[in-house]
Amino acid sequence: MTGDRRVWHKSWPEPARRALFGVFLALILAASRVYARDGVDLVGRRVNLPEVPQRVVTLAPSLTEMVFALGAGPRVVGVSRYSNYPEATRDLPRVGSYVQPDVEKIVALNPDLCLVVKDGNPREVVDKLEQVGIPVYAVNPKNLDQVMETLIALGEVLQARDAAKALVADMKRRLHAVDERVRRVPQRPGVFFQIGVSPIVSVGTETFAHELITRAGGRNLAEGPEPYPRFTVEEVMALRPDIIVISSMERDQTFERVRQQWLRWPNIPAVALNRVVLVASDLFDRSGPRLVEGLERLVTILHPELD
Amino acid sequence: MAVSNRLETPMGIVTPARLVAVTLMCAAGLLGAIVFGMAVGSSGTDFTAVFRSLQGKKALEATQWTILWRLRWPRVLMAMETGAALALGGLVFQALLRNPLAEPYILGTSGGAAVGAILGILMGLSPFPGVGAAAFASSALSLALVVLLASGRAGLRREALLLSGVMVNAFCGALILFFVSTTQDARLHTILFWLMGDLSRADMAVVWRLGAVLAVCAVILFAMARPMNVMLMGRDVAKSLGVSVTWMRLFLLGVTTVMVSAAVCATGLLGFVGLAVPHGLRLLFGPDHRVLVPACFLGGGAYLIGCDALARWIPQHGEMPAGVVTALIGAPLFIVLLRRATR
Repeated sequence: MTGDRRVWHKSWPEPARRALFGVFLALILAASRVYARDGVDLVGRRVNLPEVPQRVVTLAPSLTEMVFALGAGPRVVGVSRYSNYPEATRDLPRVGSYVQPDVEKIVALNPDLCLVVKDGNPREVVDKLEQVGIPVYAVNPKNLDQVMETLIALGEVLQARDAAKALVADMKRRLHAVDERVRRVPQRPGVFFQIGVSPIVSVGTETFAHELITRAGGRNLAEGPEPYPRFTVEEVMALRPDIIVISSMERDQTFERVRQQWLRWPNIPAVALNRVVLVASDLFDRSGPRLVEGLERLVTILHPELD
Repeated sequence: MAVSNRLETPMGIVTPARLVAVTLMCAAGLLGAIVFGMAVGSSGTDFTAVFRSLQGKKALEATQWTILWRLRWPRVLMAMETGAALALGGLVFQALLRNPLAEPYILGTSGGAAVGAILGILMGLSPFPGVGAAAFASSALSLALVVLLASGRAGLRREALLLSGVMVNAFCGALILFFVSTTQDARLHTILFWLMGDLSRADMAVVWRLGAVLAVCAVILFAMARPMNVMLMGRDVAKSLGVSVTWMRLFLLGVTTVMVSAAVCATGLLGFVGLAVPHGLRLLFGPDHRVLVPACFLGGGAYLIGCDALARWIPQHGEMPAGVVTALIGAPLFIVLLRRATR
């Protein structure tokens, strides 16, 4: 039988044999693609995703937090340098920083999916990863709503849909609770949100911190088109902030010193009222699920009268 | 023996055999550097893997193969091309300006190219020829400025040339910082890339483009090696031997500037390569340009591959820009040469 068949196709002319071979090849390729999915990421790039990503590399702390929050932490094999949350990330290999990822280290980890942020991770790195055949899925959340959309999308990508739905439902519930509380506040205090020490840097309208301040019932005194505007001490005095929030990367000693410096200027209302506070910056500048936690903390700071 | 004298000795005869011998020696050095550059990296250093990978794809794990041939190989090639371009650039500048300390970075030619490239990128020109042409124009302009500033009645004054170069260089550095820090343009990569020279963005498309430019320029320079020897003997000698000094100078400076600005577009500012390599090779092989042009081409490539490999090897985590290594080696060398030249 098999012998027959061999003779039968040997008798075919060469072009037909080639065509047959081509058909076989196409079939084999098609079969291999069953294990992958074609998708479009959140910045509109086409990505060929693995069916269930098993070896994920995240190139930003926010992405690390999102993947872990979706319960896919065990599938993360490499993270960016400053990914410090949750605790389980501590021993994971580092693949360079957010702005300077180390392509060689990423490739060496043999990932089947790399998650990147459009604003921050360099374009060339993404191109190079794709060249060597690693699927790259990019996200670009700009506000709380988009963070939740991103979580749902990542739930799709990582086959963790239920976890994503539950997580987003919880975030929505907490956001709603905050909105309800803030609706009853009598006045909206002016907030100076400080993210840089020397020079003094604050946050403009296009930032997560701005959204959180506004939603927590405050006015961002540094609002405007410039995302990270610089200030001098006299400019801050002129703004007369009711509250100064110093956002720190857990470098408490430095920021305690900054707080002491503000305390020299009692003509600033925030200082006179002893309302210069420190917060953990990770809760305000990382586009992850913990932004809600930052928001809740900010409500407590701005409106202690609600508690 | 002072460097300046070394530059001005009349030339002997170069036999083809000597040329072949020198070329082979430099090629061996280049090969060694390539192996080193391929073996070293942030994911681990493995010399045997380089040799095993020559047996074909099956000899290595897929991941390791990718790292070696898709990531490190383009980088090694780009380092080789850039090193060759900068070393040749230094060699030609030293001959034409009759100054042992002339070098594209020190004279502000590289800085000028970087400013032009950044402006080209901000104006939205295509990488080739647009940005390349902008880099060339701006680097030719800064070179012309330096030469004009340094021209006195008695030709180019050595200290004046260096001083104006340093000033133009500082000004270009300030401009680069200004553009990169005020325009949040993702296409500008990082400040580090433009100020310290960085090869981590090596890409095959760039390798081909730069290679084509370099090949043409290197052939021209090799053909002009004899006139370059004559130029070193001074204007009058050159004239009596029938070399049209002014045009020759302009033409050679033009070719060199093309080469240097192409290298700068690809890798940012790498200092002192054009100083370390030609001087090292002069000590080894003597001052004849018919030998030095091919030697600098191969040796410059080897030198920068080595510097970049060190930049990847030394830090515990990640890597540093290759320009850090070239400056750590080159700047002290510059001081030594300066002392010898002024003594």
